[in-house]
Amino acid sequence: MDELFPAELKSRLDQIGEADIIVGIPSYNNARTIGHVVRAVSVGLAKYFPAQRSVIMNSDGGSRDKTQEVVMQAEGGADDLLLVSHPVHASYRISTPYHGIPGKGSAFRAIFAVADYLHAKACVVVDSDLRSITPAWVELLARPVLEHGYDYIAPYYQRHKYDGTITNGIIYPMTRTLYGKSVRQPIGGEFGFSGSLARRYLEKDVWDTDVARFGIDIWMTVTAIAEGFRVGQAYLGAKIHDAKDPGADLTSMFRQVVGSFFSLMEIYENVWKKVSSHEAVPMFGFPFEVGVEPLTVNTDRMIHAAQQGITDLREIYSAFLSPKTLVDLTSFVHRNGQGFHVPDELWVHMIYEAATAYRHRRIDRDHLLQSLVPLYLGRTASFVLEVTESNAMQVEERIEKLGQVFESEKPYLTQQWDAAGKERLHAQPV
Amino acid sequence: MRSLFDRMFVDPFNRLADQSAHVIPILIMVLVTLIIGGFLAFVARLLTYRLLQLAQFDRLVQRTGFSSMIDRTGVFRSPADLGARFVQALVWLFTVLFALNAADTPASVELVRRFVDYIPNLIAAGLVLLLGVAVSRMISRSALLAAVNAQWPAARLIAGGVRVLVMTLAIVIALEQLHIGSLPLLVAFAIVFAGIVFALALAFGLGARDMARQWLEAKVRTSVAEEEVFRHL
Repeated sequence: MDELFPAELKSRLDQIGEADIIVGIPSYNNARTIGHVVRAVSVGLAKYFPAQRSVIMNSDGGSRDKTQEVVMQAEGGADDLLLVSHPVHASYRISTPYHGIPGKGSAFRAIFAVADYLHAKACVVVDSDLRSITPAWVELLARPVLEHGYDYIAPYYQRHKYDGTITNGIIYPMTRTLYGKSVRQPIGGEFGFSGSLARRYLEKDVWDTDVARFGIDIWMTVTAIAEGFRVGQAYLGAKIHDAKDPGADLTSMFRQVVGSFFSLMEIYENVWKKVSSHEAVPMFGFPFEVGVEPLTVNTDRMIHAAQQGITDLREIYSAFLSPKTLVDLTSFVHRNGQGFHVPDELWVHMIYEAATAYRHRRIDRDHLLQSLVPLYLGRTASFVLEVTESNAMQVEERIEKLGQVFESEKPYLTQQWDAAGKERLHAQPV
Repeated sequence: MRSLFDRMFVDPFNRLADQSAHVIPILIMVLVTLIIGGFLAFVARLLTYRLLQLAQFDRLVQRTGFSSMIDRTGVFRSPADLGARFVQALVWLFTVLFALNAADTPASVELVRRFVDYIPNLIAAGLVLLLGVAVSRMISRSALLAAVNAQWPAARLIAGGVRVLVMTLAIVIALEQLHIGSLPLLVAFAIVFAGIVFALALAFGLGARDMARQWLEAKVRTSVAEEEVFRHL
């Protein structure tokens, strides 16, 4: 634990002693937006938790744009125009660089450690590039933990129909199918969790893996569900980010998120194999309609990426996709424009076969994940073409339908998973 | 006093008979050793093939991708066949060495000694080549995936180039281990490779200057635009 705390931070934490709520804000060169986030959090803590001792902690990845100075200098929450009641305790503010692999997960680890050290009852984490955060987000994410006995609160946002395609196409339906909880935004980025769950996270030895990077969100969600912690959701409205997320390269993001999910399937095999249906997760907050930012998507470019992938990566695909899936994929993908289509069943089989191959190391894991990117782009293009004329509700129904296909095909996953395991066992004497 | 006849005919014949009495058993022993060794090598091949088949060796190799390479040689029926023939060749080699050593002539003993001294070099060269195949495969696959995900049209060409480059390096190191002059090969490769790069640079930079500019502009524009509007998580 000591390596996570520089001497300066430790003495500051000793001064603070204990805290009820920790709000963690990971950052890397977010000077432009983090001031607004810190201000919203400060107001939220002062307004909704005036009697609680709170700490705002910025866990920084070595920013060179004065992000840390902006955090420390941002205005506090004691603004008469915004507050109904005045805080009994002023909230403390810490800005410290984290240690370990550069990434969001390492930043979160430092936040978990501080929460543990200060014996926090509840923690909230929010991104530092949020433009749509309001003080109410702090309440929505922390109160279910503090007052209703929940351990983990995932966010629920209104998003544009083309936004969050890894979530909609893979992570949400898979989480629901495998772990039986319908958490709509399992990799949303903003979360509330209990001090005991933070301690559980800290006990895990995952900080040299992709969990230390973009894999952290799905790892937190799946760990909470699979280990039986009480899980809820909070309606936060719209999520609007700053325009550019530094280092958000699709291939590495996809590799880290999907790779972490596949690794968790290996760890919690005994959990997901027993799950046969899903249940709704309680939602806190008052759902309301919000306008979402318009998005434009270049489907031609995505289709081209998928077609090139099928042509150039055939040898790699044949190492982990079944012959039938490969034939179907080829016939569907080599069509252009509106005729281009990747059916749900085919997509689900591809993901299940990839997860099985990842588990049994049929090919190098990194290569497998990278080779899925063109297939993902093809599926995304197919989805975009399909919902071009659909409204938000119709799109949600479409995602629901995909979730049902993932669920109905789960026996296929189990059968593939077990068959590959036996085959591997048989081949081991060599 | 011995007659002229004895000196001209009987003595040489006796000497030949003495020498033959010494050499013929050795020749017979070498011949028998080779026959038994050949038989043992054949049996070893059959047994190895059976064992590899039982252990599903072909399936295992298929997963590594070496199968297609073996198929392409057109010499071996399967990876198990390759393994079995390799064991046969090894048994043969040791049989020949054993036979030469048994012959016990200065030339054969010297030949065996030289060969035994050379074995570490052979093993090192073999290992370097094996490592080269594995590394070239790994790196070329990484290059292929990176190029495909960057949507470069010549992705397979790039991956192939990377593979040739790494394999050439491995061959040069292996030849060094075998004390066979590798410099001419290295120089020839460097000349050809540099020539190709120079020709491509000239073709792209001069012959297709406008296309190069447009391509780079389009590349920068689309990647920035898409990063800004599209969020996958």
